[in-house]
This record gives sequence, C-alpha cells and structure tokens, in this order.
Amino acid sequence: MRALYTAATGMAAQELNVQVISNNIANMRTTGYKKQRAAFQDLIYDHVRRVGAQASDQGTILPVGVDIGGGVKTVGTPRLMSQGTLSPTGNDLDVAIRGEGFFKIQMPDGTYAYTRDGSFMMDAQGRVVTAQGNPVQPTITIPQNSSQITINAQGQLTVILPGSTTPTLVGQIGLTRFINKAGLNPIGDNLFTDTPASGTPQDGIANTDGFGDMQQANLEQANVEVVTEISDLIAAQRAYEMNAKVVSAADQMLQSTSNMFR
Amino acid sequence: MENMLLVGLSRKMTLERQLDVVANNVANINTTGFKADRSLFEEYLRSPAHEDNFVHADRRVSFVHDRATFHDFSAGPSEQTKNPLDVAIDGNAFLVVQTAAGERYTRDGGLQINNQGQLVTASGDPVLGTSGPIVFQPTDKEINIAADGNITVLEGTGRTDSVRGKLRLVSFADPQTLVKEGGNLYSAGQGIAAQPDTTSRVRQGFIEKSNVNSVHEMSRMIEITRTYTQISAMLQQQHDLHRTAVEKLADVPA
Repeated sequence: MRALYTAATGMAAQELNVQVISNNIANMRTTGYKKQRAAFQDLIYDHVRRVGAQASDQGTILPVGVDIGGGVKTVGTPRLMSQGTLSPTGNDLDVAIRGEGFFKIQMPDGTYAYTRDGSFMMDAQGRVVTAQGNPVQPTITIPQNSSQITINAQGQLTVILPGSTTPTLVGQIGLTRFINKAGLNPIGDNLFTDTPASGTPQDGIANTDGFGDMQQANLEQANVEVVTEISDLIAAQRAYEMNAKVVSAADQMLQSTSNMFR
Repeated sequence: MENMLLVGLSRKMTLERQLDVVANNVANINTTGFKADRSLFEEYLRSPAHEDNFVHADRRVSFVHDRATFHDFSAGPSEQTKNPLDVAIDGNAFLVVQTAAGERYTRDGGLQINNQGQLVTASGDPVLGTSGPIVFQPTDKEINIAADGNITVLEGTGRTDSVRGKLRLVSFADPQTLVKEGGNLYSAGQGIAAQPDTTSRVRQGFIEKSNVNSVHEMSRMIEITRTYTQISAMLQQQHDLHRTAVEKLADVPA
C-alpha cells in the first residue's frame, strides 16, 4: 500500500507549512521581518508503463503511460523580500530603508551581519548600536551633549555640537546589497548573514546606484499580511486533514483484505 | 485457484493503484503548478485459469488492469503573492528548465535568483530564455516581467529599462505524452519536440496553485474504499460457499 506512505509525505509537508505560517504570524509586529513561504515539489514517479513504450509486435506505441507518484517534498522556504510599510515613530535614531539595501552590523566576534531593522540606540560611548549593542557600520560615535540628531536620505548623520548653531557631520550609515536577497541566512535577532546563495555583499551609499533611501524617525514593519497568512493556514490545515483521511482509507482497505478469510 | 478469486484480485490491485494516484494528488494539494492525475482502466480478456486446449475454445474471463494515468492539465487557481519573481502562466505553455539530464518543462513559476545572478527554479536549475539562461547584474532592481515574457530591469541609477531576456514558453501538440519526472518537472517523450508558444501569457506577481480538487479526490477515495471492501466481502462469500459445499458433500451419512 504505497498510498499510506504517499499520504504520510503529504502530512509532513503540511506540518512544515503550518510551522512556516505560524512563524510569519508570530513575527507580524517584528521590525524589518521578511515573510517566508514553503515551496513544495512532487516526488519521483514510478513509471509502471512508460509513455511511448511499444505496445504490440506491430509497433504501436503507448499514447499514455502509467505514472504513480510517491508524494511531496519541501524544496525550500524562500523568503519574500518585498518592502514593508514604514511607520513613523518620532524617535531620532530610528531609520527605515525605502528600497534596496541592508544595514551592516558588526557582531561581537568581528564578523558582519545585515538587517532591515533600523531601531538604533546610543551606547555608553555614544556609538550608534542595535538593540543588542552591536555597532552599525561604518561605526559612528555621537559626541556627548550634542543635540538635534538628523539623518538624511543618504544616511549622513549630523548633530548640533554644544556652543554651535550649525550642524556638524559625524558619520554616515552605509548600506549593503546582495544580488539574491532571498539567499541570505537568518540568524535570529532580525539579522542575516551572507551565504554562497546570496552572493557577496556590495557596500554602498543610500540614495545612489540603485540603493534605497533612508527615512529618519520611521521603522519598516514586517511584510506579513495577516489575511493571506490566515487563509494559507486554513488551507494547510484542510490539506493535512485530507492526507490523514487517505491514510485511514488505505488502512481500511488493508483491514478488509486481512479480514477476508476468517 | 478460483477464477473469481483471480478476477477479484486483479480489481483489488488496480484499486490500490488508484488510491496511490489519489494519495499523490492529495499530497500535492499545495504544490505550485501541480497537475492532478487520473487512472484509466481497461478490460483484459484471458482464458480461465485451467486447461483450455479443448476443441471448442472455452469462454474467456475478463480481468481488469490499469491502462494509463491521464494528466489533468486544466489550469489551477492563481494566487497573488506580489513577489516580482513569481510568474503564473495563462494558457497551455510551460517554462523551459535546464537540468543536468537535459531540457525539462514546468508550470511552477516560483522563481529565484542564484548567486551568479541567474534566474532559477526553487531547486536551482536555470530557467531558459529565448537565448539561453537569463542573467541579472548585481545593480539591477525593479524586475519587470511583461505578459509576453520579456524581462526588463532598471540598472543602477538608470531611468530606462534594460532588457535581460525573454522567458521561453513552449507547448506540446499532445501534452499527455509528457512524463512527470518529479520536482515539478516534465520531460518530453522521445522524438517529441516542444513548439514555441505565442498565445500564452505570463502574469508577474502570481503563482499557479495545484489544480487538485479536494472534493473530487475525497469522493473518489470513498468510492475506491467502498468498492475494495465490497470485493473483499464478495470473495469471502465465495470462499464460505466453497467451504460449506465441501463440508456438506463430504458429510457422508453413516
């Protein structure tokens, strides 16, 4: 009874589908989160009678074959890197990217990670850091007692120093882009690392060369649409149930055979 | 062996195969671009299972076996994903995929870009344009796929479209000759050429869902289960009949 195992692959696939959907829903309010979807493919087929095989001595050819499929497999969980909506926060160190690019963050071990979450803060030394305390690249230190932090569309950060009335440029937040954003590896904390699939990071300046621009006092919301997720969840749940039904049908058939001769 | 048992057995075997096909359809109810399969059966005449070299030929017994699985190529529902690299095909065309084993065809338009900038399927095989694989530059943005499959981008700070290629769309005189290879791919039978398709349209930002109809599959499944249990019951009755006959006939009065 191959159907038993075929339906089992279907149940496993839908289980993973629900996992992906629930992770999207869980991160509905996560700044800079990018939703995923589960991508499925059919498994290998058993060609019981191959189409085009010879059907008789007269050389007639089978117009259609008998192909029995073995179920479904998950091929990946591609990430949808579309723009999320910007929501104003009124906080000077919140930055959202409108368009292409990621903020580059230096991790404690010296490696780099990338994020769309621009809710930055100042640490004790005045550096611009993420919520985990990792500095955004290139590292920017804001002098003490300075006021009126302004970040323009290119990411240039200016402040008014004590005793001055004109803005002083203290640094520029850079952006990094990848040819295949969907190939980035998520490491949690809203961070991604580059992989062979994402291609090498290309550093650049916001608002130039096709990079997006920066919007101060805004944050990018998750690109999760609740309606889509809930309808996908219902579909996944139904599909799981139906695969379970197939399992019990196959079971019933086997039972009727084993009960044939008492 | 009894003919009845053998005929019943042949039917039960085809029903198991039929359930296998239904199970595969149901398992792929969420598979992008999947096309459901149907089983077809035929009568298969054989001599009864005993000597038939008489002067007059014996009456023949009909068995059953599955003749074919027929692919249902009707369109599946389209779902809007807003992902620029998702394409759904309106019409009978297929996308052409370059695999290690040669050209393959697919309806699964959930595409990706690999680290070399090539347009690939979810499993990483290049999708072919009219002049080979389609390659994007690292500075490309705003990928636009037109209804005829033309792919344009804005390169760097450019304000005008740069063309990156045109999706190759093909169709077949008889799509039933296509063989499912798994991985959402079809291969063309020997000597069957893919024809360029000009009537189908590509829709960016949509994917074609599986065309498996759950209600159909469930009713088919119930039908299969019921038929199967009926045959089991029938064979059991036949068996009981024989046993009773043997017992009664062997019951020699003292």
